Amino acid sequence: MKTTGFRSFILYLLVGAFLFGLGVFLYGLALDGGDWAVQPFNRHITGESQTAAEGRVLDRNGTVLAQTKDGRRVYGGDATTRRAMLHAVGDTRGYISTGVQHSFRSDLIGYNHVTGLTSPTGKTNGSDVQLTLDSGLCRLARQKLGSRNGAAAVYNYRTGELLCMVSTPDFDPQNPPKDLNTDKTGKYSGVYVNKVLSSALTPGSIFKLVTSACAIENIPDLDRRTWNCSGSVVINGNRITDLYAYGRLSFKNALAKSSNVAFSQIAVELGAGRMQAKANAMGFNRSFSLDGIPSAKSVYNVASASPDELAWSGVGQYTDLVNPYHMLVLMGAVANGGTPVMPYFIKRVAAPLGLEAKTGRAQAGPALLGAETARRLAEYMRYNVAHQYGDGLFPGLEVCAKTGTAQVSGRGDNCWMVGFSSRAETPLAFAVVVENSTQGSIASAGRLASALMVQAAKIQ
Amino acid sequence: MNLPAEIISVLLYALRVAVPLLCISIAHRCFRSLKLGKRKEEPVVVLEDASSRTVLPVLYWENSIGRSRSCDIVLHDPTVSRAHAVLMRRESGWLVTDTNSRAGTLVNGKKVKQDAPVFPGDTITVGSTALTLKRTADVGVAQPQSPPRRRAASPFHLMQLVVLVQFLLFVQACFAPAKPSLEPLVPFAALLVLEWGLYFYSMKILGRVSFELETLAFLLCSVGIMLLCGEGVKTTYTQLLGVAIGTVLYCFLIWFLGSPARVMRWRVAAGVLAMLLFAANLLLAKEHNGARNWITLGPFSLQPSELIKIAFILVGASTLDRLQTYKNLTGFIAFSAICMGALFLMRDFGTACVFFVTFLIIAFMRSGSLRTISLACSVAVLGAFLILKFKPYVAERFAAWRHVWSHVNDAGGYQQVRVLSYAATGGLFGVGLGKGCLKDVFAGDSDLVFGMLCEEQGLILALTVVLILAALASSARANATRSRSTLYSISACAAGGMLLFQTCLNVFGATDVLPLTGVTLPFISLGGSSMVSVWGLLAFLKANDERTYAARRRRS
Repeated sequence: MKTTGFRSFILYLLVGAFLFGLGVFLYGLALDGGDWAVQPFNRHITGESQTAAEGRVLDRNGTVLAQTKDGRRVYGGDATTRRAMLHAVGDTRGYISTGVQHSFRSDLIGYNHVTGLTSPTGKTNGSDVQLTLDSGLCRLARQKLGSRNGAAAVYNYRTGELLCMVSTPDFDPQNPPKDLNTDKTGKYSGVYVNKVLSSALTPGSIFKLVTSACAIENIPDLDRRTWNCSGSVVINGNRITDLYAYGRLSFKNALAKSSNVAFSQIAVELGAGRMQAKANAMGFNRSFSLDGIPSAKSVYNVASASPDELAWSGVGQYTDLVNPYHMLVLMGAVANGGTPVMPYFIKRVAAPLGLEAKTGRAQAGPALLGAETARRLAEYMRYNVAHQYGDGLFPGLEVCAKTGTAQVSGRGDNCWMVGFSSRAETPLAFAVVVENSTQGSIASAGRLASALMVQAAKIQ
Repeated sequence: MNLPAEIISVLLYALRVAVPLLCISIAHRCFRSLKLGKRKEEPVVVLEDASSRTVLPVLYWENSIGRSRSCDIVLHDPTVSRAHAVLMRRESGWLVTDTNSRAGTLVNGKKVKQDAPVFPGDTITVGSTALTLKRTADVGVAQPQSPPRRRAASPFHLMQLVVLVQFLLFVQACFAPAKPSLEPLVPFAALLVLEWGLYFYSMKILGRVSFELETLAFLLCSVGIMLLCGEGVKTTYTQLLGVAIGTVLYCFLIWFLGSPARVMRWRVAAGVLAMLLFAANLLLAKEHNGARNWITLGPFSLQPSELIKIAFILVGASTLDRLQTYKNLTGFIAFSAICMGALFLMRDFGTACVFFVTFLIIAFMRSGSLRTISLACSVAVLGAFLILKFKPYVAERFAAWRHVWSHVNDAGGYQQVRVLSYAATGGLFGVGLGKGCLKDVFAGDSDLVFGMLCEEQGLILALTVVLILAALASSARANATRSRSTLYSISACAAGGMLLFQTCLNVFGATDVLPLTGVTLPFISLGGSSMVSVWGLLAFLKANDERTYAARRRRS
């Protein structure tokens, strides 16, 4: 009997396994219950037995961007506003996974762990989600982009509030085009992708900021050095050219003129190891997050690059790719002495009865630069605008910036501009990119950035 | 009935909060009562060594005597065999059985083989040791004063609470259809008749003192039946019939198990009957949703494998004297292999797994041999590998496991993602009886019933239900040394393990912790055969409680 009793402990194995399995289920429920509940097939949300309705999405000024009326999702504003806000708000069918209506669906529908999707009174109205975005500023960005593809983002680098996030191509979520999913010409290619968060594009000369940061830290007499820019240089049998022969250039003028000849040589001089380390430190090859939505990684990899490839990598070509959101964070870092305030775009999630479920606030990100490096880099970038691009683009804003024109094989250039206002009254950083452009970077990205910064400076 | 919809909704919500709290309270009191009803490990009789005057306490209802340290009564005598004899208490009194010892066993100098009666004062001689059976009081062993027992809740009071739960569920069921109706009165009344019928039969006619297991079973049954009531009252008729037949089977099995000797005589017959049932199943069954486990007899369809579960445990369990005499497991292994083979032919893999785990529990409790267990597991792994290799459609069924969210609209994950989604929708207290959507998904009220319970009645009640099932298995284990025979210990642990493993497969299959295999949740899932079999299994747990076969209460 004693032995039988002892052997009966085998049942505890089963009880243990049962409790473990129950733990797995409950852990998943605690972690992902909201996502499980708000599936499109859930007939408590849609269909006849609907008990839960999605809340509204509002911009920073309380403008209604999306709401549910009579069981249908309705989008606010004119067609341009709706298109401008598409990637931030998301579409009705949930294809835009980075949109609020997809990533914050459980908040919008008002899921909580105690009552699930239901409530004691039987009906739930969902929670309103207010964004930090300014729909007017987004509309302006959308207008300026016109028929061109690209992305634009502006944020307050002191408070972290994201003011503008626009990506093209897009469509009007209120009246989705009939050929949206059947079109073969490619006009809607990438229409569900928010390029600010989810794209990685060839950077061109804006990458020289990384090369510059590496040079600041590793070349002691940087400001006394000069480079002879005769229009081209041959590295490892490969010719690297500039638009003009600039003659002998100091470092800050080499950056202002964006001399490939100078920067390719600087990259080679610094070597692959230091370039790689600096790029990694500055946020390449890693993902950032916007309220939990991960960004695409910027890519810099010179592990197996030959000297000429290293040279090209130093001027933002080779296999270099950057993500616009990462560039925005990097600008925030330079403006804030090396450590960025991370952007956020969910201002608040309002639960019923006037309670607040969530409120966005400023949070420091990872240090991307040393304080001294950030200060000197900002100085060079300020010189770029003051002496090269012209302060007329950003009147009174004391903008520090860098442009870039990346050559993409088989199509027009990617025109970039990234930068920030150094005035304490207008702590704004921006990153804009216009794809497939035949104009120069100032004429395309520069004008877009100019319009956005002037308008954003007026936002309180 | 002119109350505004919102007030009704709030009132129903309050009921959904009250029901799980009441259930937790009932379960807590039942298990406490089971614990309090357990006898302390104190000897009633002792064996006194005639030469050394050493007193050996006799602690159990079946005691092995021998040289081995694993024996209940250990004798340090080289002439005693390692497992020499078994001293058992039966209704007629104390019996001793020699278990193929070398030197033999004598009672009062006469050589005995099997079931020889021993009375106080008699001397049992094993090897060169002579032991005298004495009452504890006669040798002056001080009875340790047990602290005054706290009173357990009265069975009658607990049953009243169950009725209260049933009433609250009944009210919810009345409001389940769009237009409130009193139709759920039928299952409510039927449950009342069945439970009070069993209560009076058991407590008043048979004079038993305990009713905890039955109370818990009726509690679970009412949660299940009222849940099904949300789909329409007709759905509950199968269940109610299952409970009715189940309680009859329950009473019969408790009577049948009353005499271990009778059980041991009928074991072979039960095994043959089981195999005949399997054969009939394989010959008569038509394929139904990928498995062939149903046979139809006129208006009734039943699942023979559910009833075979009871026979399987009967064949597996054994009394201590038999365990010591016939040590090998060959017969039982062969029988188990036939059962599992038949289940594979029927493509009922879930039930095959349930049988396999039960086999492991029985095999280990009988032999204690880790080698047998690991061998069985290796054979099972090899078998599973061969099946996956030669029957790719089986592997397909498991392809979506842990990836169900990539199979939202195909067969691989369709059911599981809906269980997860609707279970989360319910929150802690559910969306309301009959208001769920999972019942419209295939097998929503059987294989996926855990999700349906979460959706309509909330997570708390669903967890209470499955934890009660786990606690039933634990209580079987806790009673393992107190029961009147290893027959009961082994069969109760096997039945408890079977119920719990079936719960695991049902709950974890539906929620994608394990692959979905399609077995029922005991007491809750829709299925008449399953309900009958679960009550049968409960009889093993009841028999394990030594109070079940105690002398009848004397009426004052």
